[in-house]
Amino acid sequence: MKREDTNSTTSLQRAAAGSNAGLLRCFLQGSFHLFVISILCSLCVSVLDLVNPRIIGYAVDTVIGSDAQLPLVFQLLPGFSRLFAGVGTAALTVCVLALAAALFRFLAGTFNAKGAETLVRRMRELLFSHLLRLPCAWYSENQTGDIIQRCTSDVETVKNFVSEQLTQLFRTILLIVLALVFMSGISGELTLLAFAFIPVIVLYSLFFHTRIGVAFQKADEEEGKLSSIVQENLTGVRVVRAFGREAQERDRFETKNRSYTELWVHLMKLLSAFWASGDLISGLQVMAVVVVGAVFCVRGRLSAGDYIAFITYNSMLTWPVRSLGRVIAEMSKAGISIGRIREILLAPAEEAREEGAKPDLHQDITFSHVSFRYREGSPEVLTDVSFTARAGQTLGILGGTGSGKSTAAELLDALYDLPRGSGGIRIGDTDIRDINRHYLRENIGFVQQEPYLFSGTLLHNLTLASPAATKQDVLEAARISCLDEAAEKFEEGYNTVVGERGVTLSGGQKQRTAIAQMLLKNPAIMIFDDALSAVDAATDAKIRRELQKKSKGTTVLLVSHRITTLAGADRILVLDHGKVEEFGTPEELYEKNGLYRRIYDLQAAGREEENAG
Amino acid sequence: MKKQNKERSLRFFGIPRLLPWLVPFRKRMLAMVILGVLSSLVDAVYPLFNRYALDHFVVGKTLGTLGIFLALYAVVLILQVLDNYVTTYWCGKVEMGVDETLRNAAFSHLQTLSFSYFSRYSVGYLHARIMSDTETIGGLCAWHLMDIVWNGAYVVCVLILMFVLNAGLALRILPLVPIAALFIWFFQKRLIALNRKIREANGKITGDFNEGITGASTIRSLAIGDTIQGHFEEDADEMRSLGIRAGRTSSLFVSTVTMFSMFALAVVLYQGGKLTLSGLLKVGTLSAFMSYAVGMMEPIQNLIHTFSQLIAIQANIERLTDLLQVKSDVTDTPEVIARYGDVFHPRRENFEPLFGDVEFRDVSFHYPDGEEMVLSHFNLTVPRGMNVAIVGETGAGKSTLANLVCRFYEPTSGQILIDGRDVRERSQMWLHSNIGCVLQTPHLFSGSVRENLCYGKPDATDEEIWQALDIVSAGDVVRRMEHGLDSEVGEGGDLLSLGEKQLLSFARALLSDPKILILDEATASVDTVTEKKIQDAIRKIIRGRTSFVIAHRLSTVVDADLILVVRDGKIVERGTHRELLRKHGYYRELFTRQFEETAADLA
Repeated sequence: MKREDTNSTTSLQRAAAGSNAGLLRCFLQGSFHLFVISILCSLCVSVLDLVNPRIIGYAVDTVIGSDAQLPLVFQLLPGFSRLFAGVGTAALTVCVLALAAALFRFLAGTFNAKGAETLVRRMRELLFSHLLRLPCAWYSENQTGDIIQRCTSDVETVKNFVSEQLTQLFRTILLIVLALVFMSGISGELTLLAFAFIPVIVLYSLFFHTRIGVAFQKADEEEGKLSSIVQENLTGVRVVRAFGREAQERDRFETKNRSYTELWVHLMKLLSAFWASGDLISGLQVMAVVVVGAVFCVRGRLSAGDYIAFITYNSMLTWPVRSLGRVIAEMSKAGISIGRIREILLAPAEEAREEGAKPDLHQDITFSHVSFRYREGSPEVLTDVSFTARAGQTLGILGGTGSGKSTAAELLDALYDLPRGSGGIRIGDTDIRDINRHYLRENIGFVQQEPYLFSGTLLHNLTLASPAATKQDVLEAARISCLDEAAEKFEEGYNTVVGERGVTLSGGQKQRTAIAQMLLKNPAIMIFDDALSAVDAATDAKIRRELQKKSKGTTVLLVSHRITTLAGADRILVLDHGKVEEFGTPEELYEKNGLYRRIYDLQAAGREEENAG
Repeated sequence: MKKQNKERSLRFFGIPRLLPWLVPFRKRMLAMVILGVLSSLVDAVYPLFNRYALDHFVVGKTLGTLGIFLALYAVVLILQVLDNYVTTYWCGKVEMGVDETLRNAAFSHLQTLSFSYFSRYSVGYLHARIMSDTETIGGLCAWHLMDIVWNGAYVVCVLILMFVLNAGLALRILPLVPIAALFIWFFQKRLIALNRKIREANGKITGDFNEGITGASTIRSLAIGDTIQGHFEEDADEMRSLGIRAGRTSSLFVSTVTMFSMFALAVVLYQGGKLTLSGLLKVGTLSAFMSYAVGMMEPIQNLIHTFSQLIAIQANIERLTDLLQVKSDVTDTPEVIARYGDVFHPRRENFEPLFGDVEFRDVSFHYPDGEEMVLSHFNLTVPRGMNVAIVGETGAGKSTLANLVCRFYEPTSGQILIDGRDVRERSQMWLHSNIGCVLQTPHLFSGSVRENLCYGKPDATDEEIWQALDIVSAGDVVRRMEHGLDSEVGEGGDLLSLGEKQLLSFARALLSDPKILILDEATASVDTVTEKKIQDAIRKIIRGRTSFVIAHRLSTVVDADLILVVRDGKIVERGTHRELLRKHGYYRELFTRQFEETAADLA
C-alpha cells in the first residue's frame, strides 16, 4: 500500500529543507499540469468573452446604419461580413460564442478542482506517511491540536492559495492584457484613460489590505480571548458556582465582549470606508469613460457600436481589478502555512533499519548499564539499569509512579531509542539497535496501561495487527483475556463499533481488548505495562492463569505496582527512582526485607489491620 | 443525545423567535432597508445614463447637455457612495450589536442553569452556541437581510424600468427569469447535498489524523503503520473524488448561469435589434436592455443563495433560542430571592453565618437523566467539623452526595438541612459563598496567580495569600515564579504543572475559608515529592471543617471520621476504617485492590 517509497521521502525532506517555493513545487507534482490546463481554458474563456462586445457593437452599428466595422479577425474570413448583415445572425453568433465560453469555463473550473483536490491529497498523504514515521519522542513534544491544525487548516490554506489566489492572479492578469489588446483596437486614447485608473485601484487596495490585515489579526486574537473565557467558564462551571462568582464571570465576559465588539465595529468602519472609496474610484472611472467616449462619438472618432463595446469591456474589468489587491495581500498568509507544514516534514523520521538483523527473539533479554532521559536536559528516568530476563520466563517489574518501569518496557519495544554510549539492550547476542525495527515490533507484544482503540468494530481492533486471524483464533484470544463476557453483553457482539464514534469501553474492557489483540499477534516477547490495572482482582488472576498456559516459551515482562499481579513471576526487578533496587525471585526478595517487602506489607495492610484490631 | 438530523422547518426560518433581542435595533435596520433600496435603485438607473449618452450625444451628435449630464451623473454617484458607506457601516454595527446582545444573553443565562443541563450538553456544544451561533445570527440580521434587500430591490427596479422603457421587449425577456431561477435553485440544492458529504469526508480525514497522532505509540508497537496508511489513503481518495465532483458541479453551475445571461442578451439583441431597425426603439434603450439582461442573473443567483443559507441558519436559531429559553431546575423561590437576592445581585447583608452542620433527612434522589434511585430514604448527620470520606470505584457515583450538599441538584424527595434549616430556605448564593470546592482536575482561570487565589475572596491581602500558600506548601512554587503573585498562569492554568495547579486550587479554597469543603482527590499521578505535599495540604485544609472528600488516597481514607462506601451509585457501607475492615465486606475488597496501588508510592 505504500505509495511513497523511501527515495521520494528523502527528496521530500530535501525540498522541505529548501525554500517555500521549492516545497510548493514538490507538493505540485501530479497537479501542476492540471492547473496549467485550467489557466489555458480560462484564457479561451477570456478571449471568447471579449469577442462578444465587438459583435454586439457591430450589430448596433448595422442597426443604426452607421459605418460598421468588423474586428480584424472576422474581416479576414471570406464572406463573414455578408453573414453579419442581420441582427439575427449576430444574436446567433452570441449564442454560439456563449456555448463555447460555457464549455471552456466548465473545463477551467473542473481542471482547477481536479488540480486542487490532487494537490491537497498529495500534501495530506505526504504529511500522514511522514507522521507515521516520526518517533514517539516527537509526539510528546508537540501538541495534538497543533499538529492536526497544521495537517488540516494549513493544508487548506495552501490549497486555496494555489487553486484560488494564484489562478485568479493569472486569470486577472491575462484578462487585463487581453482587454488591453481589444480595447486599444477600438481607441488608444480611451484605453489609456481607462487603464490609468488600474494601478491606482490595485495599489490602493493592496495598501489597504496589508494594513487591515493587522487589524483583522487583532480582532482574531480578541475573539480567541473571548472564546477562552467561555471555554474556561464552561469547563470550570463547578468552580464558578461553588465560589458564587456568577456575577463576576458575567461582568468579565461582558467587558471582553464589549471590547471585541468595538474592535469589529471599528474594523467595519474602515472596511466600509474602503469599499465606498473603491466604489467611488471605479464609479469615476466608468463615468470618465462614458463621458469621454460620448465626446469621441460626437467628434466622429468612435462609432456607437464601438462605444457600447468599449463600455462593456470597461465594466468587465472593474471587479477583477478591484479584487486583485486583496488577492495579492492575502498571498502572504500561505507563506506562513507552508512554513508550519514544513516544520513537520523537517522533523527527522525514525530510522527504519530495513537492513537490520532479524534474530530469533526467543532468547535472553539483557539490559546492561542502561541510562535514559526522554529529552536533553530533563532528569534521568533510568540510571545504570542492568538485568536479564531469561528466555521463556516471566519477569516482573515492580515500582511506584516515576520509578521508570514503563520506560524500560518502551525501550525494549524501540518506541524510544537508547542513544549509543548509554548502555545497551540485547536480545541474545544482538543489540536491539541493530535489529530491523519493523521486525522487532512485529514480534514484541506490548500492552499499554491505557490502550488506544481505533474507531471501527471490536473485531477490527482485535485483528488490526493480524489480518489473517480466523474467527476461531479471535474467540480463543478473547476467552484468554476474558473479553468474551464483555463482548457477549454487547448487542452486536464483536461487530460493536467502538472508539470515538461508537460505544465507550471501560478501562478494563479496553485493557482486555488490547491483550486479546496482542495474543493474536502471537509474539515472541510479551510486555504488559500495568495492563491489568483496571480489571478487578478475580479477573486479573484468571487472565494471568490463562496467559501462563498460553505463553509457554514466550518471554513475558510484567510491569506493575501491584504485588498480587506479580505473584507468578519467575523473577522480580524492583525499580526505585530509575535505579535497580532489588532483583531476584519473589521468595528471595521477601526474605531480604527490603523495598519489595515493605510494599508487600503495605499492600497486605488490610490483613494486618484486621489482625491488630 | 442523538442530534436530530432532519431539518425541521420553522415559520419564517425561525426569525420570529429572535424578535425580543432585535427590538433595540429595529430603527437602524429599517433605515438600512430604505438606504439599501435607494442604492439598488441607483444601480438600476446607471444604464439610463448610458442610454441618454447614446441617444443624445452619440446618435444625436450634440454635446449641448453634457455639463448637466456630467453634474447629475457625479451627484448620483457621490450620493450612492455615501449611501453605501452608511449602509455597510450600519450593517456592521447591527451585526456586531446583535451578536454582542445574544452572546451576553446566552452567557449570563448559562450562569443560572443547573448542573443537569451541563451534564446533558458537552462544553464544545455550549461553546459553539455562544460563539458561533450568535455570530451566524448576527450576520443574518445584517448581511443576509441586506443581500435580500439589495438584490431583491435591484431585480424589482430593473423589471419596472424595463416595462416602462418598452413593455413589449420586457415581456419577451420576462419568461427567462423564472426559468433561470428554477435552474439555479436545482443546482443550489445539489451543491448543498454535496457540501454536506464533503464535510463528512473532511471529518473522517481529521479523525484519521487524530488517530494517527493520539494513537502514535500504539501504531508503532503493533507495527501497523502500513494498514493505517492504507485506511487513510482510502479516505483521502474518497475526499478527492467528492471534491472533484463538487468542483465539477459548481463550475457547470457557474458556466450555465453565465451562458443563460448571454442567451438573454441574444434575445434582446435579436428582438430589440429588429425593433430598432424598424425605428420603434432607440439605440440607447437597446443598450440599456442589454445591460439589464446581462446584469439580472447575478442578483437572482444571490437571492437564491441567500435563501438557501436561511434554511441552514434555522438550525442555529433553533439551538440558540432553545438554550436561551430553557429553565433551570434548581431555582430559589421568590421569597428567598426577595430576602437574599439573586445570582447577579446577592444581598449579602442578609446572609446569616454558616456553621457546617449537615443533615440528610430521608433523602431520595435520582439524576434528571436517569430513572434509577441512587439514594432512597437516606439519612446522615454530619456535625460541624467532621471529615467524611467517600470511596468507591471509578464511575460508582461518588460525587452524588457532594452534588447534593452543594445544591447542584435538588433531592427528589426529603430534605437537606444546613445548620438545622432546609437549604431551600436560603439562596444558592448564600450556600456557595460558604462552601469550598476542590476538584479532581484543578481548574484555574487565565490571569495572574493572585486573581486565581482571590477567586473566592476578592479582598484578600497579600499577607493572607502568602499564608494560605505556605500552609499548602505552594509558597515556594510561587516565589520561584518570575513575577510572584502577578505571574500569569496561562489558559486553564496551562503554564503550571498538574501538581502546582492542585496546590494552588487548595490555597484558593483555603483563602475563602469555607465552613464546608468538598474535595475530589485527583487520581492522576504526580511525582512523589509533590504527592507528599498534596497529602499534607489535604490534611491541613480539611482540619476543623465539615468536609466531604471523594477519596483516592490511602491516608485520607484511614484518617477520616466516617467512610461512606459507594457501589453502583448506592451507599452500601458506612463506618470508620477499622469498623469497615472488620466487616469483611465490599470495603475490604475495594481497599485491598484500590489502595494497595498507592502503597508502592508510599513505601
